[in-house]
Amino acid sequence: MNIVGPDFLVFGVDDVEACKQFLIDYGLQPVDVDARGGRFVALDGTGVEIRHKEDPQLPPPLGTGNALRQTIYGVADEATLERIAKELSKDREVVRRPTGALSTVDDAGFALGFQVTVRRPFDLPGERVNAPGAPPLRPANEIGARPDVEVKPRSLSHVVYFVPDSRKAEAFYVERLGFVCTDRFVETGPFLRPAGTQDHHTLFMIETPPFMKGCEHFTFHLGGPTEVLQAGQQFEAKGYQTFWGPGRHIFGSNWFWYFNSPLGCHIEYDADMDLHDDTWVARETTISADASQIFLFKSIEKWMPSGGPPPGKSAGVGH
Amino acid sequence: MTTRSRRLARTRDIPDRTARGFDPRGDGEDVLFVVRRGNALYAYRDRCPHQGARMTWRRHAYLNRAGDRIVCYAHGAEFDIASGRCLLGPCLGQSLEAVDLHVTEQGEIYVKNEPVDGHEHE
Repeated sequence: MNIVGPDFLVFGVDDVEACKQFLIDYGLQPVDVDARGGRFVALDGTGVEIRHKEDPQLPPPLGTGNALRQTIYGVADEATLERIAKELSKDREVVRRPTGALSTVDDAGFALGFQVTVRRPFDLPGERVNAPGAPPLRPANEIGARPDVEVKPRSLSHVVYFVPDSRKAEAFYVERLGFVCTDRFVETGPFLRPAGTQDHHTLFMIETPPFMKGCEHFTFHLGGPTEVLQAGQQFEAKGYQTFWGPGRHIFGSNWFWYFNSPLGCHIEYDADMDLHDDTWVARETTISADASQIFLFKSIEKWMPSGGPPPGKSAGVGH
Repeated sequence: MTTRSRRLARTRDIPDRTARGFDPRGDGEDVLFVVRRGNALYAYRDRCPHQGARMTWRRHAYLNRAGDRIVCYAHGAEFDIASGRCLLGPCLGQSLEAVDLHVTEQGEIYVKNEPVDGHEHE
């Protein structure tokens, strides 16, 4: 199954206006947005759709208070849609929308959609670093640090679910849709990669009690580690609440910075995820603070050595 | 542990059906919040029973849009305002940690028994 990755995540929220401002401040572009909600997209056309939780056009809620209503996957072509429809129709209802998109439900109860992907190619360099011993990636006179840069999320990267039975949930994506497990936190859940991308994961699942079922977080890829730090710092300066980060994960190697959101789940900035092909052998470990990140930092108010004491320190304490 | 009573605000600073976060020890971030419903005030630690997470998505955003539930915007848990008990979401059945308040006749709100620790700069 040539599934490329998530095209859209659809949420039914309590406060549409708060979510609109939040997603614009995060860096997404509003498309066809009005008082009822709308879509917020990254540079490649993937994104998030926001509707009020009572909107009758939404798939039903998960029943846990979580606001995720549907995960819409992008696939390579019509032939892939046909294969998915044929496979999943064996044991569940698959509805073909007038647009050609498919709607159904996975084995954990999450509403799914499939469509020919909206992802459009775009040409924008990633972060380039210079290092002794390696050819320069940023040539003479090309500046690396730009204080006023406006960071744009590039592509919807992945979604993370809380699921009551991670083995059962994993089996659906692996056996029915051709995802592969790239790495695994034992007794927690798998990182899953669909066949149409080399990204380490587009789906990660965490086993929890049933009353927690829902979206733990979702994230968009940025252009590199500097963009994660810079976008996160700018987002925090707008008054938004950090949950975890900045730091760098081990499985997937992606840099991360997570925030609370009015969508009732976390939203992340990520960058520089590992790519894998079918020769990769999945690693396994037990989840822990050390296993989930190589380092973790905490953002503080800007200061400088000769410009007075650091925040929270009285004069004369520092040297 | 050394504790002391600290002034947070005046009652009229907190409009009905809203909440406000407070940083009484100068930690650099809000550690407790007060919700007003009519003349009643309820105060809790800004710490979700699920993962100990900070609860807001921006400062003072502790309630849902209708102002009738406390919400943790880490994972969407909803809490009863009067009891602090989780009614929906990942810490179902657990409760927020209540904070004791004292309100003077002039409407000054004090938090009682707030620990004194090394973050103080007085």
